[in-house]
Amino acid sequence: MGFIELKNVCKKYDKTDKNAVTDFNLSIEEKEFIAFVGPSGCGKSTTLRMIAGFEEISSGELYIDGKKMNETAPMDRGISMVFQNYALYPHMTVEKNISYGLKNMKVPADEIKRKTDWAVKILGLEEYRYRKPKNLSGGQRQRVALGRAIVKNQKVFLMDEPLSNLDAKLRVSMRNEISKLHRELGSTTIYVTHDQVEAMTMADRIVIMKDGVIQQTGAPMELYEHPSNKFVAGFIGSPQMNFYNVRLDGNTIIFKDNNRVDLPETIAEKLSKYKNGLIMGIRGEDIKLDAQNLGLNQDNKQKAVIDNTEIMGNENNLYFEFGGVTSVARVSKYEVSHIGDTVEFVMMPHRMHFFDPETEKAINL
Amino acid sequence: MNMKKKRESVLGMAFFGPALVLLIIFLFLPMILTLIFSFTDFFALNPGLTHFTGFDNFLQIFKDEDFRKAFVNTVCFVIIIVPLQGLGSLGLALLVNKVSHCKRYFKVAFFLPVVMSLAVVSTLWVQIYSPEGILNSVLSNFGIPAQPFINSASQALPSIAVMSAWQGVGYQMIIFLGGLQAINPALYEAADMDHATAWQKFKDITLPELKPLCIFVFITITIGAFRMLVQPMVMTGGGPSHSTYTMVYDIYETGTVNWEIGLASTMAIVFAVFVMILTVIQTVATRDKEEQNVNKKTKKK
Amino acid sequence: MLTKKQKRNNWILTIVLFIASLFFLFPVIWMLANSFKPDAAITDDMNSIAAFVPPALDGSFFDNYITVLTNTSFVRYMLNTLFYAAVLIILGIIVNGLAGYALAKIKFPFRERWLMIIMLLMIVPMETIITIHFLFIAKLGLLNTIVGYVLPMIVNPFNIFLFRQVFTSLPDDIYEAAQLDHCSPVKYFFTMVLPMSKSVVATVSVFTFLNVWNDYLWPSLVFTSGDLLTAQIGLNAITSNENTTMGQTLAVITMVTIPVIIIYSLFSKQIVEGVVSTGSKEG
Repeated sequence: MGFIELKNVCKKYDKTDKNAVTDFNLSIEEKEFIAFVGPSGCGKSTTLRMIAGFEEISSGELYIDGKKMNETAPMDRGISMVFQNYALYPHMTVEKNISYGLKNMKVPADEIKRKTDWAVKILGLEEYRYRKPKNLSGGQRQRVALGRAIVKNQKVFLMDEPLSNLDAKLRVSMRNEISKLHRELGSTTIYVTHDQVEAMTMADRIVIMKDGVIQQTGAPMELYEHPSNKFVAGFIGSPQMNFYNVRLDGNTIIFKDNNRVDLPETIAEKLSKYKNGLIMGIRGEDIKLDAQNLGLNQDNKQKAVIDNTEIMGNENNLYFEFGGVTSVARVSKYEVSHIGDTVEFVMMPHRMHFFDPETEKAINL
Repeated sequence: MNMKKKRESVLGMAFFGPALVLLIIFLFLPMILTLIFSFTDFFALNPGLTHFTGFDNFLQIFKDEDFRKAFVNTVCFVIIIVPLQGLGSLGLALLVNKVSHCKRYFKVAFFLPVVMSLAVVSTLWVQIYSPEGILNSVLSNFGIPAQPFINSASQALPSIAVMSAWQGVGYQMIIFLGGLQAINPALYEAADMDHATAWQKFKDITLPELKPLCIFVFITITIGAFRMLVQPMVMTGGGPSHSTYTMVYDIYETGTVNWEIGLASTMAIVFAVFVMILTVIQTVATRDKEEQNVNKKTKKK
Repeated sequence: MLTKKQKRNNWILTIVLFIASLFFLFPVIWMLANSFKPDAAITDDMNSIAAFVPPALDGSFFDNYITVLTNTSFVRYMLNTLFYAAVLIILGIIVNGLAGYALAKIKFPFRERWLMIIMLLMIVPMETIITIHFLFIAKLGLLNTIVGYVLPMIVNPFNIFLFRQVFTSLPDDIYEAAQLDHCSPVKYFFTMVLPMSKSVVATVSVFTFLNVWNDYLWPSLVFTSGDLLTAQIGLNAITSNENTTMGQTLAVITMVTIPVIIIYSLFSKQIVEGVVSTGSKEG
């Protein structure tokens, strides 16, 4: 049994007939960093709040450290939490905010002092110790919220979109800080975010949700390389994976615009029952403009006209119409192309993903 | 029922409970008792003899000379004071809003009487209205002969009304000033572009913008006037010859001096009906005001 | 840029307002000036401008005040009223505040219906039921007691509603964070909700104070005599005494007004905001 165990957890609100969360099963190991990720309204926050005890569990069971927690009050679940809007006590100084919980837990004064000093130091808040939240920047508030959570030494650490109110640069640095904190403290962490980059960069394992249902659970690269369905494939990775509705003719896939790509026989065999068509997905970085260097099948070369570009500096995204949809290729900065240029490219057959057109589930190759 | 809901229910009732108990004892119960007593001849000094008398009380109080007088006086007071205080506060607010010198002084000067309690104001004005008092002395400088003011049946009520308006006008002036400051200055700038005169600006911009506030203020004054009691209690004892006897005064005397709770309750019901109708009108009018404000805000966006 | 005409109009306006302000100030000035005079001087000055001028500052300048403070229970009445106000402010914030919080944030049965009832109760004029309050307090033998005076005044539907409106906008996540910090709901109310809502607490306190300080009818019913009178009732008792001179009367009403002036100058922001936003509190 895992350290945190969710068994068939469902959430149903009184006035609706649809479940907010359906049949959620997950086992989390001690010290693991788990990210719940998905579009807004997918039930990730609701699940987190059920674990915290702020939302009721309509059916199913929740165990933390072997104890059933369904009916336990939030404060007795051994958790601490960082909230999206920080939820700092506005009339208390940084120090009071951090030590408030310890005081209520009747921790001896010298220990409170020691722990608060430690948290203030580790988060670089020494200068701001006696300020009130309204005199702090977003990043500093975030640190206070973290400090308040870590001093209590709880085994489980819940974070509800903690970085969503910060600007992009601060977000990256806070990301690193949270990862570092997790490594130092070793508390089991559940991190809710709608940002797949956060999930990919921080988590040991990611749970992808949609409409209250888990789509896939796995390590970041596992999801990236082997998405279990079209939704996961599209959600993870930026720019988004290209999807094409294609038809199969022998070993050849035929695009809507009658472009063709030959597949190796081993792959084509496994797709043979999808005579009426299927969905092919390929990531931008697997569309190669320098095919000759990679020893790819030159017969599969395609042509397209670039109609938009995104210059990132280290790499560039090239947009063009292909296979009836707008496609994107992700190329290195050395492969310069301009709008209006005609480029030749090859889609790497071994990097293609195929999905059942009905269920959108990945077809095992 | 599950734990969390049960906890919330218990907590909610624990928090709401003290207020609820007091509300029941000091609001629900008195209201219901007032309603019940208004159909009885309940006499607090001899409760054993209480009968159900139907609508007798209602007929009786309107036959009663004193109550009719009190009713008429109250209505007269309302008729005098509402234009005086309402238009007065609006006028003062418009002028104070416009004036560029000593604005703060004027605000304080007009607001100062509001700070004084009704008992203080009444005590003070008993001296001011006295036949040899300062007001008569000032008026004599203008060649006006000495007036009896609160000592005559014809002048007492208007005198009290003037004093009450003097005391209260600053309060509504502040409300109107707030309303005037909330008017978007761009409206006036636009009107200037259209060569509007000062009168046109007042008629076409200020008044329509202030209309909901005016309704609110005038009804507030009306309700306050209906509830008038302290001034005659302190100044005239309802006289001379009942000329300043008001509805609330009659309720108070009948109920707490003569202990005729039944009759007092009937009067209280009649009084409450008037006040509650006004309050409901006011609530409806203010709700419109809020909606308009919301509309204004969304329009600005 | 103001034109000449606008400048002239402005001066006319100022003069008109100044004359109007004299009408508002002359009773107050007269009260202040004559509160320092013996009755003979008041009568003598009545027909000259000296009526509005305080007497020379000599040894007898404060005589009226000293007489009132030493020969009557006036100080006692003032202290009584301050004490009642303090009690009612504290109890009122606890009782109405807790109820407002429950109506705003705690999901308990019939919450919406309770709120409706509170709003309906707001329109009941107190004068309607004051007779019954008096009957209750008299039957309970609580006339001329502090409990009898305070008890019916604690709960106030208007304040419950005001608290409820403000508490509704408090963020829920702070309550959740406090729960994880082992803060009980009662502790949360007193150490978090009230400090986070300082301005409504101040508004309710100020209006409660003014209400208690200026109230006339209810204390005049409960306190028929003795040491428990409030300042307003006490002032009536003092001024209706035949031995009290006119100058002493003016000194009494001046002193009764001083605390209110202090409150207004300290809390003018809250009061003006309260007046402008709600507009429905009787002054």
